[in-house]
Formats: sequence, C-alpha cells, structure tokens
Amino acid sequence: MQNGFKRKFEPLKILTDSQVEQIHTASLNVLEEVGFKYESNKALKLLEEHGCRVDYKTMIAKIPPSLVEWAITKTPSSFYLKARDPGKSIRLGGNTLYFMNSAGARYVDIDTGMVTMPTMDQNNIAVLISDSLDSVNVFPSYTPYFEIEGIPPVMSCPVSCAQRHRFSTKPSRGAQPSDSFIWETQIAKAVDAQIMGCVEGAAPLSLAEDPCNAAFYYLEADFPIYIASGSIMGGSHPVTIAGASVSHNAELLAIIVLLQCIKPGAGVIANNFVSAMNMATGDLSFGTAAIAMHQMAYNQIWHSLYKIPVNNTGSAFSNAKIIDYQLGAEKLPLATCSALSGANLIVLHGGVTAELAYNPVLAIIDDDVAKTLGRIVEGFAVNDETIGLDVIRNVGSNGTFLNTRQTRTMWKTEDYVPGIFDKTSYQEWVNSGKKTVIDRAKARYEEILATYKPVPVTPEQDKEINRILKEASQYYKKKGLI
Amino acid sequence: MSDTIQQLKDIVLNFDIDNAEAVAKAAINSGLDPVLAANTLTDAIRDVGDRFGKGELYLPDLVCASEVLKKAFPIINEAIEASGGSQSSLGKVVIGTVFGDIHSIGKSMVATLLYAAGFKVIDLGINVKSEDFLAAVKEHNADILAMSALLTTTAMEQKKVIEGLKSTSLRDRVKVIVGGSPINQEFADSIGADGYGATAPEGVKIAKRLMRIEQ
Repeated sequence: MQNGFKRKFEPLKILTDSQVEQIHTASLNVLEEVGFKYESNKALKLLEEHGCRVDYKTMIAKIPPSLVEWAITKTPSSFYLKARDPGKSIRLGGNTLYFMNSAGARYVDIDTGMVTMPTMDQNNIAVLISDSLDSVNVFPSYTPYFEIEGIPPVMSCPVSCAQRHRFSTKPSRGAQPSDSFIWETQIAKAVDAQIMGCVEGAAPLSLAEDPCNAAFYYLEADFPIYIASGSIMGGSHPVTIAGASVSHNAELLAIIVLLQCIKPGAGVIANNFVSAMNMATGDLSFGTAAIAMHQMAYNQIWHSLYKIPVNNTGSAFSNAKIIDYQLGAEKLPLATCSALSGANLIVLHGGVTAELAYNPVLAIIDDDVAKTLGRIVEGFAVNDETIGLDVIRNVGSNGTFLNTRQTRTMWKTEDYVPGIFDKTSYQEWVNSGKKTVIDRAKARYEEILATYKPVPVTPEQDKEINRILKEASQYYKKKGLI
Repeated sequence: MSDTIQQLKDIVLNFDIDNAEAVAKAAINSGLDPVLAANTLTDAIRDVGDRFGKGELYLPDLVCASEVLKKAFPIINEAIEASGGSQSSLGKVVIGTVFGDIHSIGKSMVATLLYAAGFKVIDLGINVKSEDFLAAVKEHNADILAMSALLTTTAMEQKKVIEGLKSTSLRDRVKVIVGGSPINQEFADSIGADGYGATAPEGVKIAKRLMRIEQ
C-alpha cells in the first residue's frame, strides 16, 4: 500500500468552535428549509422513505437535520481504495495526506505557452510520467487531458480511464457524465481494481440526473465515492467566505445523505473545489486568498467535526499560462494551507492555465513540491536523540556539527532534499549553462521516458478493455452521441 | 417629467433592483411616454455596458443593472403594447447554454451586453434542448442564434442545433454565433457557425458585424 504522509500535529484551525457550529447549523437550516434538488425520481423516492419531504414536481427534497447527522455518522473516517497493483492501493482518511494528479483540457507547450489538442501518445506519456512519480498517489477522472485527438467527446472519459489503467498501476477516480460510469466500472473490474466513483453536484443546491445515476451504479459495484460541488464564489455560491462555506457544506451534506441512504457505511471523500470569480470577465480565478481560507475552514469542519476524509482541489490550477513565478505563487500557498489544515488528498501535479492546460514537465516539478509539503506535515521528533544535548555540549563554541554522527545519520530524514530544484552554487549554475528548474525537469522527463516501464495489463485484460470500449462506442452511437 | 426620467436612469445606474418595479410603475402612471421610458432604460444600460467594457464597472454591476431592467421592462412593455407603439432594436437574438450544460455566467454576460447594445434578447437559459432552440428561432423570427457551451462534452450540441436548423430549413434565416471555453474559431468553422467570440464584448461585435451594423 502507498503510505502517504502521516500528519504528526494538530491541523491548523482558522475557525473558533463557535464558528464551526454556526456554519454547521446554518447548513442544516438550508437543507431543512430550502432543500436540495435531486434530478432523479429514484433518488427522491429513496430519500422520501428516509424521512425527507419531497416535492416531485420541483424535484426538491427537504432534509431533516436528524437524517443529515445520521448520514454523517454512517460515513467512515477512512476507506481503502484497491489499485491494479495492490502495493499502490491507498487508505484515504484519518491523518494521512496523499496527492492526486491534476488535469487540463489541452496540452500546453512549455516554451511557447500555446495549447493544442493532445494526441493519444501525449496522453499516454503523461500518465506514464505520473505513474513514475512517487508523490502522485491517485489519478482523477479524464486525466491528464480532458480531450484526446481523434476521440469523440462522449468517449473521452472511458478512453481516458482505459489508458490510465494501461499505463499506471495506481488507483483512479471515475467520472459521471453520459453514463461513463458504466464503462469505467467495467474497466476497473477487468483489471481487478476499484475506482473512486464520482458524484458531483451542480451549485447551487442541486444534483443532476447523471451523478444521481452514478451514485447508485458505483455503490452497487462496492466502490467508494468522491463527492464534490464545484462552484464559484459570487456566482453559484455567495461571495462571502462564510456564506459560500454554508452553501458548499449543505451541498456536500445533501450528497452524503443520498449516498448513505443508498448504502449505509459507504466510504466517501468530500472534495472542495470552490473558486473565486474574476469580476471583470466572469472567468475562474485561482490561487486567491479567499479560496485558501474557504478550504481551510472546510477542512476544519469536515476533519474535526464530521470526521469524513477531505480532498482539496484549489491548488490544482493557476491562471498563469506558462510555468513561471505566478504559477508557483498561486499554487503553493493554497497547497500549503491545505496540507496544514487537514486535507487528506491534495490535487496538485501538472495543471496550468485555469483547467485549460496540462504538461507532465510541471508534474515532475510538482513532485518536489508535494514531497516538501509531505515532509512538513510529518513534523519532527523531539526526544533525547534529536535534541542531542551531548552533541551540542561536545561541539561547544568552536566546533562544527558536520562531523558528528547525528548529522551524518539524520540529515536526510530531518529535511527533504529536492530532486529537481536547483541547489547548485551560482558558479556551478553558470558553468552548467544556466539551467532553470524547467530545463532540469525536461531532462528528468527524457530520463523517465527512456528508463521507466509501467507494469502492463495482461493480454486478457487488454482484450477485455478493448471489448468494453467497443461496447461503449456502440452504446453512444445508438444514442446518436457519436 | 425630467425627474421621472432621472429616476428611471438612476435605478439602472445605481443598480437599484428593489425599487425598479415601483419606479417603472410610477413613470407610466405619471403619463410618461412608455417608448421614452424604454429608451431611457436602454440608454442607461448601454452606459453601464460601456463602462463595463472600459473596466470601470465589474460583472456584479452589469448583472445587477440587467436585473433592474428585467423588473422594469415588463411594466413598460405592457404600456407600449397598450398604446399600440413599438420599440426599435438592432435585431432579435435567441440565446442559451446548450443541453447538458448548466453554466450560465458567460451566456448571461453576452445576453446583457447584447441587450445593452440595443438588441432584443430572448434568453432561453441553461441546459436548452436542440428542439427548444429551433422552436424559439422560429417563434421569434430571430436574426441571430447565440449558443454557449462550457464543457468539451457539450460543445458538440452546438453542431447538433446547427444541423437541426438545416434540416428544418431555418439555417438561411438566422446567423449563428457560438462561444464558451472549449470553443475556438477552428471549432466554430468546423460546425458551420457564422461567428465565434472569445469574450462577451467580442460576441457583441460579432453580432453587430453579422447584422451589418456600423461599429
């Protein structure tokens, strides 16, 4: 099993206990008074049987607080996600921090910033690169690219899922649009793995038919579920952080209620993917202070009060168009706030340009970022050995610690030594041709391509995946979607 | 009378949604020519749109000004119809976000700016089925059909609607504009659209160009 990073200290808190209670209570009020729209009669009927007041015409269920709190208690604090290679499985929750790959619609050229439709080769290479990176523990849906040249849009999720399983042994998340969950579930089963099912709400306060269907389907397959309600503060959520926290909380709790009504005890990880709005253009604004605070408050509520695993996506993207200072300055503060405030899963590697673009060279750089953050949350030991009073005494005022056993045996574990960041002297840097971190990551990219061989699926598994994709293609053709 | 006109301007320029209906009713009850009232509101929203384009105002200002019009205009339009009058426009635009897609912000920005520019806008909302676009184009005798798609998986719905326009012999009667983050000029050309706008203000420019309006 991939171990992830064990947080050794209490998560950072941004809210008082009273504020946590205020947000929770307001969330219950929203669900009881305003209700939540589930665009599925099957879901509404189930919720009615569990005590919700359902209006089938508006498809809104008003959810009693007791049902919400029952659903919270039924959701386990951690769950196991089986990978194709059991050694790459993960247990999400508790005090463990893992990292998830990011994604982008298109391939971005590192040097020019121009985006193009990725080819199948580019897609497969990007999966392979992330498979080789220790800090990428799990893949999301349609990753790394939302689109692949020559693949009909409706087939992009099943094909992406197939290629992730062919070029990586790590666990993956499924998708929900256009019945893609049918094929992704079959693909995961074909390689004897689980995927995290995907049930994403549509803010404000609604869950479309596709994710409702996905919830029933993935839970029937005995898969854990990733939930989300992507939204924009000032657009689909209130502009205030407190108001957006309540709306977001209510949406995710409503989805938890449905999942636990379908299958009590189902494992769930709840994602925070709330972004700010650029009020001049209406576009998404990433890496802002408001997003960082929203995620921190969210982590505190879900980690300490609900004890349900949490995922943060705020650091997955930047509005920067290339790998530059802005990109780092937008992604890293959010990732750091997430790591310190209790996130169990952080989406980080490779995403650029506000969901538009991805490049595996950035994923290689983000590997160092993730490992640095992981090292921070693991904290440091304070004991006789690490304090080393004798060592301090022996060195006294005139010596050096470099020649001590303590330094020799502990320097590698006390700090994380980056693999890609440039730590050479200025003169070495000049002599080596002034290589930037991007040059170094490109060299590492070539090295990985030349040497790394992902564990392939068996010929039987490959044949079965092809059969599933063929069946999916025929299914969508019949529906007129291809 | 000039006070009444100023009040109508003020509800738009001050984004005063709460008093929009009351001020519109008072204006009509005061005997103000309803066409003049409508033109006053249109001039005011055009001013808001211009200031938004210059970066002096922001999206919440634009949307709130649009909300003022949504409340005030039905009252004024009713009075115009009752008096047998009519209001001129640059053209009729049917607009919506395609089926399977619930993103509304970009579409609403374009709708508001088109309205501010002087077009009559029929906003069908989000998640609009192909047949509903076709029915609206026919019913309103639209000059332009504007479609938004924010998802890669829904972008092809735009093509489906254009195919629908062809099969119902409506294609020659209406110009088609497409937009949304997965859309580019290449895609717009490939599905047979007449125009593509990367931003809301560009969408308005395209609409004017297609209507052969001098800019």
